[in-house]
Amino acid sequence: MVKIFHLSWKGSLLKEKGMKTLFFLSAISAIIVIFSIIFFLFRDAYPIFQKEGVVDFLIGMRWYPTGQPPLYGAFPLIVDTLLVTLGAMLIAIPLSIGSAIFIAELATPRMKAIIKPAIELLAGIPSVVFGFFGLIVLVTWLQITFDVPTGESWLAGSILLGIMAIPTITSVAEDAISSVPREYKEGSLAVGATRWQTISKIVVPSAISGITAAIILGIGRAIGETMAVMMVCGNPTYGLIPNPITNVFAPIKTLTATLGIEMGEVATGSDHYSALFGLALILLIITLIVNILATLILGRLKEKQRSGSKRLPIISFELAKKIKQSLYLFIGIVIIIILLMAVGIIPVICILIIIALMYYSLKKISIKIKQKIAFSIISLSIIIVIIFLGIILAYIVTNGVGALSWEFLTTGPSNLGRSGGIFPSIIGTLYLVAGAIAISLPLGVGAAIFLHEYTKEGIVTKIIRAGADLLNGTPSIVFGLFGFAFFVLYLKFGFSLLAGQITLAFMILPTIIRTTEEALKSVPQSLREGSYALGATKWQTIRKVVLPPAAPGILTGAILGIGRAAGETAPILFTAVVFSNFIPSSLLQPVNALPYHLFTLATSIPGSKENQAGTALVLLLLVIGIYLIAILLRNRFRKNMKW
Amino acid sequence: MTSKDKLIRTETLNLWYGEKQALYDITLGILPNKITALIGPSGCGKSTLIRCFNRMNDVIDKCKITGKIFFHETDIYRPDADAVEVRKKIGMVFQKPNPFPKTIYENVAYGSKVQGITNKNQLDEIVEKSLKNAALWDEVKDRLHESAMGLSGGQQQRLCIARSLSIEPEVILMDEPCSALDPIATAKIEDLMTGLKKKYTVIIVTHNMQQAARVSDYTAYMYLGKLIEFGETKQIFENPKEELTENYITGRFG
Ligand SMILES: Nc1ncnc2c1ncn2[C@@H]1O[C@H](COP(=O)(O)OP(=O)(O)OP(=O)(O)O)[C@@H](O)[C@H]1O
Ligand SMILES: [Mg+2]
Repeated sequence: MVKIFHLSWKGSLLKEKGMKTLFFLSAISAIIVIFSIIFFLFRDAYPIFQKEGVVDFLIGMRWYPTGQPPLYGAFPLIVDTLLVTLGAMLIAIPLSIGSAIFIAELATPRMKAIIKPAIELLAGIPSVVFGFFGLIVLVTWLQITFDVPTGESWLAGSILLGIMAIPTITSVAEDAISSVPREYKEGSLAVGATRWQTISKIVVPSAISGITAAIILGIGRAIGETMAVMMVCGNPTYGLIPNPITNVFAPIKTLTATLGIEMGEVATGSDHYSALFGLALILLIITLIVNILATLILGRLKEKQRSGSKRLPIISFELAKKIKQSLYLFIGIVIIIILLMAVGIIPVICILIIIALMYYSLKKISIKIKQKIAFSIISLSIIIVIIFLGIILAYIVTNGVGALSWEFLTTGPSNLGRSGGIFPSIIGTLYLVAGAIAISLPLGVGAAIFLHEYTKEGIVTKIIRAGADLLNGTPSIVFGLFGFAFFVLYLKFGFSLLAGQITLAFMILPTIIRTTEEALKSVPQSLREGSYALGATKWQTIRKVVLPPAAPGILTGAILGIGRAAGETAPILFTAVVFSNFIPSSLLQPVNALPYHLFTLATSIPGSKENQAGTALVLLLLVIGIYLIAILLRNRFRKNMKW
Repeated sequence: MTSKDKLIRTETLNLWYGEKQALYDITLGILPNKITALIGPSGCGKSTLIRCFNRMNDVIDKCKITGKIFFHETDIYRPDADAVEVRKKIGMVFQKPNPFPKTIYENVAYGSKVQGITNKNQLDEIVEKSLKNAALWDEVKDRLHESAMGLSGGQQQRLCIARSLSIEPEVILMDEPCSALDPIATAKIEDLMTGLKKKYTVIIVTHNMQQAARVSDYTAYMYLGKLIEFGETKQIFENPKEELTENYITGRFG
């Protein structure tokens, strides 16, 4: 008896150790991936840095790789990227913050219950669907309305990116506003402040870190966005800064669009090829900085909430006030200068006078009327958001529904996709997504189990989480380039299902880690202790006690990952897809996929309008449907969480 | 005691949170310049009732009220009444100290600022006077522009009292103002309350029998959303008319 006991004890110890090692390996996978991305980008970018010099590459004023001699100056592309992001934020920030305030503070509970998940759903619309709408509707509308030669421009990119960023910024900002303690609000109301005074002087300032983080996240997404920008910005052959710089109708070429367009045409190993990797590295560094900023702010915020906000702020209130004032001054001067250049001196003076008059009359009018005005503006912003997104959805549904039929879903395309169906793309997307989830789910869940069950919070978890955060902020096109350099070329997979699956898996890995961790966190500690008290080992406890209640949460994460993978185009653009009606029979063959099919139809196949809209609708329904399942599941799961 | 003497008077007040009724037919009157204590077991509706007096329940969705509350003989719940105006006259101090994450100065000046006072000297005066009235001035006069979050719990609570005094209300509602404080801080606030009643009418919710007996002039005993007994504190504590009250006060309560 004793011997048997001894043996089994030893066996289980071995198993325990094995499991722990396994989880540790999956946990560091995020870090390995982010480092290999940086490594491979750098490796392939190195020749151009050596040839042109890093500084010249960065500040070179011309991007003209097909010229004689070819010019590789990234500066105009960087400027264009920042310009289109700036424009997008001018649109997205006021509308998103207005909407967030509306949802958090003004909406009735029933309205909130509808609008909040709806906004979250909209965050899932694939960017290629936005791009399709932008190309067909927005660009044409701009061209006709402003009577310009082409609507493909900075403005089109900014409008589209702005709309795309709204759901992200709104939901993060809304969370921040909603989590302002009710005590603050009551304290303000109790001294006779109106609702608007309470919102503007107490609630929003208390949520300012979260709102800032939301904006930074939005900026990060806008900078990294590829497909939509590529489809509506015009992309002149050589990258140029708009002339004059305020010309919003100038076609522009962003970093991401340059990668998306030129990567497909370039000879491997050429200077041009290397220069593109240089661009990707720049893009990665910009988004890394942006995301680190957001993570730091959000992290600080969480810490503050945990420590009961007793700690003194690092910046004194006086200093914060001064910073705020100088910031306003700076923004004001910038806007005035831009306006001066754009419209000339006389209109600017008129505008300034009007603003001054408005300011003084606002001071005069009563507090109650101010509240009415403020609430109207806030309500207006959410109405505008709903109209924007409503128009896009309505356009795609009304135009796509005509193409939709059983045949459309079950036959292959003919006449280059102008007629026939989209069966191969549907199958391709399913294959890609299935592979991606099969790879990322075990890795992600393993990583989360290691982070939450096997280690104490410390330097190791910090590094792993930072790796996951950085991966989360990496633009999808950068994954695409990495996949191309590593899987397609280095590992010689070629354009293949497998290369696409792994690339997508890496992209959704952080989503899965994060949601799994949340699910594990929500399992009460007492359950684990109960299990240990019965003599169960760690792994037994995790498998029998922790994982079952966490399963719905993990499933939600998996579904979110599936939705994201199904809608993405950029990561598979150079790793897996070809425009064909080919259905692969092995992992090493290329595929077609819904988003790529839509992209190709919309950009290169004239006369395929009906099938474009049909494909867009199928993709939209697929992705939104997946997200809907995830949201419903999560909401039910949260309700059940009240133990 | 005629109804004319009453500063605040409720008439068959009923309140529901959604389907659940929390107050039943409450009728009582509060005399000016007195301290009135609301006592009763947890969940009996003390907070709910005191929050009716400054319409703080308006903030809560699904909260429905019938009946009337008169303040100076005008119903604060009539359709054209403005909750903001009511709250300027009837201030409130909460159970947990809830200073804003701003400086001490800004906390006290906030109420005046939202009412449109911008003159620096005037604000300085208001801040000093309110902090003195709340017996906090000496402790914070050298650090007015530091964060209020750095104060101790008892100081924070007195800051909140100063904040509510700053707009010179007539009534101050206090919902368990000492429950998060130690005995010394509690004693300071009790002293403060007795001083306050010269200028203000005070209504206080408390779980502490001794506190109610020490500081209040009138006491209301509530049980399961109903007002069981209301009278002079001395009478309630020494000679309660209702058996329920007696059980509670003598600690024979389940
Ligand atoms: N916002 C709310 N929504 C729903 N029910 C509520 C809400 N606030 C209070 N209640 C309920 O109303 C009843 C009275 O609550 P109230 O907070 O007034 O009690 P209390 O006498 O102040 O108790 P305590 O001494 O514990 O503070 C309780 O049953 C409580 O559950
Ligand atoms: Mg209470």
